Amino acid sequence: MKMVRTLSLLGLILSWSSVIFAVNLHGYIQWNNLCPNYGALASAKVLLDAGKMSGRVTRNGNFSILDVPPGTYVLSVLSHDYSFDHVRIDVSPSEPLPEVRPYIFGTPLLMTTSVSLPYPIVLIPRHKNRYFSPRESFNLLGMFQSPMMMIMVLTGVMMLAMPYIMKQLDPETLDGLKGQQGKAASIEKSIQSGDPKGLSALLSAGEETKASMPVAKSNTGPSTLQQRKGGKANKRR
Amino acid sequence: MCCLRQLFLVSLGVTAWALHESDVGMVDWNTKLIGVPHDSPHTAPVFHGDYVLAATNNNVLAALNATDGSIVWRSIYDAEDPIMAFSHHDNSVSSLSGPGGSTLRTYDLETGHLILEKQLHNPVDGRLHEPQNLGISLLRSTNLSLNSTAYFALTNGDSVTHLDETGDTLWTWNSPDQGSLVLYSHLIADPSTVYLVGLAKSFASYTLHVTTLSATTGELIASVNIPANIKDERSKFVAVSSQTGPTTTTCVNWLEDGALKAAVLTPDLKGQIMALPGVKYDRISDFGLSTNGQFLAIKEGGAAHVMHFDAQAYSLRPIWEFGDAAPSQVQSDSHFVGSLGRDGQPRVARVYWSNAHNKAIHQTLTINLSEGKASASGFAFPFQTFDHGVVRHVAFDGSSTGETHENTRTLLTTTTGSIQLWQHDKMQWVREEALASIQVAEFVELPEKKVVMSHAVMDEEGYFERLQRQLSDAKNLPQYLANFARRFATGSYATVTTSAASSSAEDTLTRDAFGFRQIIVAATPYGKLFGIDSSNGRVLWSRVLGLGWAAKVGGTIFPTKMFVTRTVSDPEGPQIVLVTQRRADNSLVDTVLFHVNALTGDDVREEHQSIPRDLLQGLDAVMGPLVDVFMLPNENRTIVMLDEYLQARLYPDTPSAQAEFESFVPSIHLALRTDVPGQRQILGHQLTLNLELSQFYVAYPTWSLSLPPKEEIRAIIPNTRGPVASIGKVLGNRMTLYKYLNPHLTLVLTSSPPSSTLVPAAGGVCDMQATLTENWLVYHYFDDEFSGTGESKGNRVVSVEFYEGDGPDDKTKSSELSSYSNKTLHISAYEQSFIMPHGITAISPTLTKFGVSMKDIIVANRKNSIQSIPRRLLNPRRPKHKPTSEEQEEMLVQYDAVLPDDARLVLSHNYEVATSAVSLPLHLLLESTSLVFVYGLDLFFTRIAPSGTFDVLSENFNKVQLLLTACWACGLRLWLTKPMVRRKWLRERWY
Repeated sequence: MKMVRTLSLLGLILSWSSVIFAVNLHGYIQWNNLCPNYGALASAKVLLDAGKMSGRVTRNGNFSILDVPPGTYVLSVLSHDYSFDHVRIDVSPSEPLPEVRPYIFGTPLLMTTSVSLPYPIVLIPRHKNRYFSPRESFNLLGMFQSPMMMIMVLTGVMMLAMPYIMKQLDPETLDGLKGQQGKAASIEKSIQSGDPKGLSALLSAGEETKASMPVAKSNTGPSTLQQRKGGKANKRR
Repeated sequence: MCCLRQLFLVSLGVTAWALHESDVGMVDWNTKLIGVPHDSPHTAPVFHGDYVLAATNNNVLAALNATDGSIVWRSIYDAEDPIMAFSHHDNSVSSLSGPGGSTLRTYDLETGHLILEKQLHNPVDGRLHEPQNLGISLLRSTNLSLNSTAYFALTNGDSVTHLDETGDTLWTWNSPDQGSLVLYSHLIADPSTVYLVGLAKSFASYTLHVTTLSATTGELIASVNIPANIKDERSKFVAVSSQTGPTTTTCVNWLEDGALKAAVLTPDLKGQIMALPGVKYDRISDFGLSTNGQFLAIKEGGAAHVMHFDAQAYSLRPIWEFGDAAPSQVQSDSHFVGSLGRDGQPRVARVYWSNAHNKAIHQTLTINLSEGKASASGFAFPFQTFDHGVVRHVAFDGSSTGETHENTRTLLTTTTGSIQLWQHDKMQWVREEALASIQVAEFVELPEKKVVMSHAVMDEEGYFERLQRQLSDAKNLPQYLANFARRFATGSYATVTTSAASSSAEDTLTRDAFGFRQIIVAATPYGKLFGIDSSNGRVLWSRVLGLGWAAKVGGTIFPTKMFVTRTVSDPEGPQIVLVTQRRADNSLVDTVLFHVNALTGDDVREEHQSIPRDLLQGLDAVMGPLVDVFMLPNENRTIVMLDEYLQARLYPDTPSAQAEFESFVPSIHLALRTDVPGQRQILGHQLTLNLELSQFYVAYPTWSLSLPPKEEIRAIIPNTRGPVASIGKVLGNRMTLYKYLNPHLTLVLTSSPPSSTLVPAAGGVCDMQATLTENWLVYHYFDDEFSGTGESKGNRVVSVEFYEGDGPDDKTKSSELSSYSNKTLHISAYEQSFIMPHGITAISPTLTKFGVSMKDIIVANRKNSIQSIPRRLLNPRRPKHKPTSEEQEEMLVQYDAVLPDDARLVLSHNYEVATSAVSLPLHLLLESTSLVFVYGLDLFFTRIAPSGTFDVLSENFNKVQLLLTACWACGLRLWLTKPMVRRKWLRERWY
């Protein structure tokens, strides 16, 4: 009986001590380029467990939350225009100072992390809220940048420019082109008609071109030039 | 990876609707308010230079610009942290707030920047007194030797804390009896001594108790009980101090059987009690000059004496008598307020209403203490009592007084909640702060612009007459043509992002192209009804609600509900009926109806409108309180009220309404809450007529829902009204989930008391927000456990959807089922919980014309911003794996516990909007766009298109571009075909 009474007394004392024991949390906001001073931050509040306890940020960036009983808390900042990281705070009766740990919002709170943050708590503005999206305006360049428009323009240009390009080409290449076209057309025709001869011709033609191409290239180019030059020279004479 | 996914999710949400910077002020407006100022001595509004400082009923400490009435700064306090006292000193304002005055805060006067926050005691240890701020006092004193200011704070009625400028505690003194015997209420400090004066209980009356402390160390010097026999609760005692050179002399004054007695206090508290013989006083009061040695004593006949305590001669004497201050048939009770003039001499202002002049009278008393002279002069000013009720509090700027009354400034707080600044007899500005506590609000549609036709049927109309008429009819033609040309050339059309406010000079109440312009009718507990233009937030009309017979005894009108009984499509024009509870000061409660034309504020029941407008008188519909009220969905839109005996009373009570009501009776089912102590119940009722019992239909219980003992019903939230576009949801595999659309579905929020008494009451124990729309329930709460979603503490949003039967393709026709059918419980629910970074204070779904558009959830969060949460993110059927092609077809995205906190979802953008309720209109012209009106403290209005504005031209539609492209294409074709055609012609000529 006595034992029970002492135990209950002990329990009472323990519970009483846990009520009595409390820690004062202090910290400050680290001003940075995003948020240079109190004027930019405006009225902000630091919350423990979404408002169970809170402290306001004063002009010099400091805040304090007094009489925090032991437990694990999530510390967040309520600011209209800025986002801050969440921080996990552990207050234990055995430690005079609270433990501060980083906490990524949305992850399990009791995940063991070895990383410990300094105390007093330092809170850094992470980003400034941007509420607006830019307006899509009429843009002539943008209009022509769309692929549909580009294809349209390109075909148009090609259609118009084709006759002039044909004219500009020198007659031999034109002939060559025509010949090739004619060949291709005849092959097509033969394939369509199912003529095996045509096919063999195609094969032989392929071989022929393969063999003669480099030679022809090396020959034709300079020779024509020479001929032309020669022609010109003759006239002068 | 997580970030990327969030980004993707947000982009999904945002693509539908995003706000552009140029839309600010076009699609939305925001009215910042502070609330109606307190009028108790420690927290009443005061002038400080060109600022007006006020603490308000909405728990806001604010500084107003006295010249134009704009808010210089304001600081919003939490509900569990009420402002108890504030004081100003040079460039700073300090406040004591929280239970017992637990927290001291100091703000910069010009910017409102928080300089200091200091907790003086734990809020849990705060003691509550009646009145709330009794025993709390804050004093600022200048220490000349150190050239710094210091604070003396009396908190909890029993402890004094002395702090220096930086908030460091110099000393603390606690009363040995901890407030059980003596309750200190006054704190006076001179450079060496702190005087604490309070009341001590004794048999049948109160006695005074004075304690002196050393100002430097906080040590007790003396503690003495002054044998005073104070019986009157109303005016207990007044402590005044008077300064002569460096020394301050304090004198305590009280009434004993009508005789004024005084005791001059010395640090050792040895002295005599003086008595002022001959004159019998009714009450004494402090009127703002207690630090200068003056207070007010009112004689039994009603005459008011300005008393002066002369510290040099140790004498107390009346220096002025306002002989005619007694309230009578010709004049109202007077408000006395004192203030120091620019020359340091006291000024006293007296403001009262004169029935003889039908104006308010301002009287200023100029006292010259050194010469012992005083002179009074006055003027009348045209206070609009029918628009603003009765003056409740007067603040007076003594430094504005001079030889003439030209610059005399007075700040009035009225019973209708307006703050007015009068300079001489001109009103400089007025703030309608009643709007900070709107109780009920409804949207009312505006009529279309009518084309005025002057053509009447006239047979014998001559040629010239007709020509003249047609010319006059055509007077708008040039304007129309110009408009047409402009529209054609520039392509400027009305888009959803243009302002709905009418641009024309003659401001008629007509709707805009998309029906965004509506009237918001809002009722406040300050007895005033407002009609607000939803396009710009301007107050179009306002009516003061009359008290009826209760005007003789005084009373308050609390709005309960508002119904739109007629809309624009009815021939009578839009009308609203406001149902209120009138609580007279003799504790009688009545139900009063006000029936008003929503466009003008005219009384519908009154045939002839009086000009200028009188008070709006209501109809005493039910003698007694109201239990429930609803509107029948019939042609007449009859309002049915259930009185305390559960009798159904109708408005309008006409035979046709009665007949219609009788036809509805079998289908009326009501859920009412009963408050039996210890056991809360929800009882279902039906109506029946039993002429033996009553001539009215009476509700009788049909079913009951008993809650566990001690569980309290917090709120009964009905299903959000709105059209249902589809009864099912087609899945990716071509099966259909049928929505559970039981029309009787109601949400009941209950709470059990905290099991442990150690949990502090403050801190939002049961702070739950919920909304129910169609078959979708969304609720929010703070989860203290580590288990569950995210395995962390935090704000949870839970989204639940109810579908019929066991799963897809199971149909029970829930919308037509009888409530007694067993099938009503045959449902399947999908549930998903999400976490949010910040708590929310109000929640509402969006509402569109046909309900086709997606429903987003609008929340007001603790960051003082209004945010929308896309339905897509809250879909409870979001898969936990990578969506399959079937799920992708349903546009489901993978589940992520975190709801993104994206700034582009914030509707209120840069505005700081402190609110607590969201209201939505029922009638809209556009399907895509929903209007949102948010009230609470601030007013905010915006438009939201949850699925994008699909039914209007896209905002990036450009007519110039379209025209240019068309022209360009035509030109190209011409140019291309021209040679061909020419060749063809040529060939034709050849052959």
